[in-house]
Amino acid sequence: MLARALAALRRRTRTWARKRHGIDPDPLLLSGRRIYIVPSSLGIAFALMLFAMFLGAMNYANNLALGLTFMLGALSLTAMHYAHRNLAGVHIRSAASEPVFAGQTARFRIALENDAKVARYELTIANEHGIAEPVRVEPGARVVLDLEVPAPQRGLLRLDSFEITTRHPFGMYRAWAYLNMDIRCVVYPKPGPRGLAPPPLETDTGGAQDTTRGDEDFAGLRAFHAGDSPRRIAWKAYAREQGLQVKQYAGTAVTSHSFDWDALSGLGTEARLSQLCRWIEDAHAAGRAFGLRLPGQEIAPNVGPGHRQRCLTALALFDEQTAHG
Amino acid sequence: MAEVSALNWRAAAHWPPALQRLVWVIGALALSVLPHASHIQAWVLLLAAGAAALRVAIEVKRWELPPKWLRGVLAFVALLAVLLDYRTLNGIDAGTALLVLMAGMKLLETRTLRDLTVIVFLSYFALFAAFLYNQSLLRLPYMLVTAWLLTVTLMRIHQTTMSMSVREAVGITGKMFVQAVPLAILLFLLFPRLPGQFWAVVPSRGAATTGLSDEMSPGNVSELSLSSQLAFRAKFAGTLPPARERYWRGPVLHDFDGRTWRRRRDPFISQGVTATGPTYQYEVMLEPHQRRWIFALEVATRWPTGRVMRSSDLQLWSEASIATLSSFRLESATTYAVSGPLPRAMRVADLALPGGRNARSIALAREMRERAGSDAAFIAAVLAKFRDEEFFYTLEPPRLERDSVDDFLFNTRRGFCEHFASAFTMLARAAGIPARVVTGYQGGEYNPMSGYLLIRQSDAHAWSEVWLEDRGWVRVDPTAAIAPERIERGIEAALTESGESLPGDFLRRNALLSQLRLAWDAANTFWNSEVVAFGETQQRWLLERLNIGDADWEELGIGLVLTLIAFFAIMSAYLSWRFRPRPPDPLAQIYEQLCRKLARHGLPRAAHEGPSDYVARVLQARPELAQQLAEARNLYVALRYGPRSWGPQLNRSELSRLKFIVNQLKV
Repeated sequence: MLARALAALRRRTRTWARKRHGIDPDPLLLSGRRIYIVPSSLGIAFALMLFAMFLGAMNYANNLALGLTFMLGALSLTAMHYAHRNLAGVHIRSAASEPVFAGQTARFRIALENDAKVARYELTIANEHGIAEPVRVEPGARVVLDLEVPAPQRGLLRLDSFEITTRHPFGMYRAWAYLNMDIRCVVYPKPGPRGLAPPPLETDTGGAQDTTRGDEDFAGLRAFHAGDSPRRIAWKAYAREQGLQVKQYAGTAVTSHSFDWDALSGLGTEARLSQLCRWIEDAHAAGRAFGLRLPGQEIAPNVGPGHRQRCLTALALFDEQTAHG
Repeated sequence: MAEVSALNWRAAAHWPPALQRLVWVIGALALSVLPHASHIQAWVLLLAAGAAALRVAIEVKRWELPPKWLRGVLAFVALLAVLLDYRTLNGIDAGTALLVLMAGMKLLETRTLRDLTVIVFLSYFALFAAFLYNQSLLRLPYMLVTAWLLTVTLMRIHQTTMSMSVREAVGITGKMFVQAVPLAILLFLLFPRLPGQFWAVVPSRGAATTGLSDEMSPGNVSELSLSSQLAFRAKFAGTLPPARERYWRGPVLHDFDGRTWRRRRDPFISQGVTATGPTYQYEVMLEPHQRRWIFALEVATRWPTGRVMRSSDLQLWSEASIATLSSFRLESATTYAVSGPLPRAMRVADLALPGGRNARSIALAREMRERAGSDAAFIAAVLAKFRDEEFFYTLEPPRLERDSVDDFLFNTRRGFCEHFASAFTMLARAAGIPARVVTGYQGGEYNPMSGYLLIRQSDAHAWSEVWLEDRGWVRVDPTAAIAPERIERGIEAALTESGESLPGDFLRRNALLSQLRLAWDAANTFWNSEVVAFGETQQRWLLERLNIGDADWEELGIGLVLTLIAFFAIMSAYLSWRFRPRPPDPLAQIYEQLCRKLARHGLPRAAHEGPSDYVARVLQARPELAQQLAEARNLYVALRYGPRSWGPQLNRSELSRLKFIVNQLKV
């Protein structure tokens, strides 16, 4: 009963806070004015104990006992300020969230940055689905926290309001702020069943060319960066004392699948997207090239994780007027 | 093997966090229970220690926690045991025992952080309870450090991964303590004090009654005179009474059974008292002795009515027993007149002699009275007998036979104040003079640093009072006849004569140590009179000093609110300064400025480009900037990635050169 009332109260304050603050910029500097702070149940227990100590000290007219009581009281008020300051001035920034398939759990990544000269302790983020493990953020450091939200359907999942919260220093207070940042995560359609065989491989006539990336045709040289494969280093150029350079290629997939929306007539929109998703996943896993044709959109055949992501994102956002979340 | 390494103390920092938390909390609890060790029953401590050991074993060996029903039964048994042993659950003693037991029981069910926190809270409470027993200055450092360590524990266990080092936690909580202290002091000074108590205090069983008792048996060797423990302090407003007049009245004993003197329970009719000599205004500050007696100089002529009353035998009684350090403002006279004749009941009581006891002494007294002719002459004759014949003052007298006065007067002839007072009083009664024994203290050491007179248990004394029809009650101190230096210079002087010594005598003889002792006592006196005894009076005095004058509750309330507001403002300001952002890196600022300048002219830096790539690309488009940009790049790269790129040693001249180039750059 009480729990339900508390949950309702929480929802209402959250809605109210969203109205009050609107959508927050990204990154956000958390101002002290929007931080709320209340005693936790431990804090209330501590206050009750202080009250008992106070009565006892007054009754026995024992000044040292009274002094200890006042000392602990003053300490808890000091702790309140520390709890508040521990949160105020934190920079909150969204980090890239990995796309997920519908039905999985989206993992929103949120970076907390501390540009103060002192460390901040026990910071964490939470929403109605869970709470991240509290972390300590050293001065000048950044820590990325994960917030999990179930992603039931494809599209753009928006992270609804969440809280940044702390119980530092003694767990007697909970300080928090409501945040409404426009952070989205792409949710791919759920891959359909393996029943339907993919369309057969076609041999491309060379019309569709991806000039940026590929493995087939030599397209030029660029400067070496750490991480480039040594096999692509142009050793001949190096021997000519032109510095370390890397060969770049543009490629043409010779044979590829063509996954076509129109080939799946007879199915509903979501079922078609699921099926296309399944085919893309299988083809990608097998290392075969594929192209995607959707109404009003066509992606040329190619291979690689970037290509897969582009295709799946196209499926996720297909016919998507409004982001839900 | 894992268990063995888990309790390796050197590797404590690598213990699993749950174990570290547990050990810290148990340590905190032990520290705060330690001050209670002397007055808690041993089985309570053992039980709590056992519970703690069991809990650690459970954690290390990964056993199951005891089931809920077992814990319930244990808690109930513990409650019952306390009830049986202490006969009550009320009062400080039983409460403290219960607190310690319950903390132990609670340990057995600690699963969550919340449970551990509750035990730290209980530890704070145990610390609080320790103050109810003892408020001495000596203990204060221990108590403060323990409170601090409890707070360190509280902070450390709340770090999810125990990521905070002990040193860091000590530092942060230390700062918090320093910040909280001013507020605590102001709250302490301003909070309205109530006169009286909300409910009656149950006298503590553990506190032994020290000092005088309400009986006196000279046959049994006293240990009282050997203790240099403080009995009370007195501070005089004007001049001090001379040493030989410093008689502090305690219980007056009337009933004698031949060996033991006892107090009379049923009261007599009171007689009025008027001072006939100078009066002394003073304050006595009594150490707790669990009795209702207040030791006043000779006879009190004024006292706080309501809290204190004067009995018919002129002793002062407090309304409640002196369980805490208590002070009273009194006025006394050393010479006084009693109005009216001796009440009949008192005359009867003070002439009574036990039948068939001390027959030789009674015969001696009658013979001496006849020879003396008057009461006064008789008294002088008895004192002369003590002085001139072979009587000795000693703290180690032989034990006395059943008829103690006979044995003392005719056989042993050795004794201290009790022996002489007892013998003299009985002789006076036998001679038909109403007489009684007064116990109390005599003398006192003046501490010039604090201005207080210190009266110790070793100053305990017994003397006689006789009723002379023309003069009323007259004090007669037979000890003064045998050992006058005991009265003039204190017990040490008397013992020096007899070759005996007091414990701590060495301290008194060495000049430096004596100074230190007096300084320590002055600090203690200040502590006791200004801090421990801080109350309504001191609060009013303080407010008057601050020109607030007649402050009532309302004004104190306003003061408290203002204090809190000031505290909040100061804390906010301080912490926002403390958490201020670090100044941005000057080098990054200059580089940022350069990039912005180039971006305005259509050459923005791409996210993946480092300074070299970027400048190389810009120079392809704008070869005319080659000289400036190349130098800027070289400076930036050297400053940022060079050997001295970190810290404050950043090369100032190179930095200003770079700044200059960027400012001068015209695209």
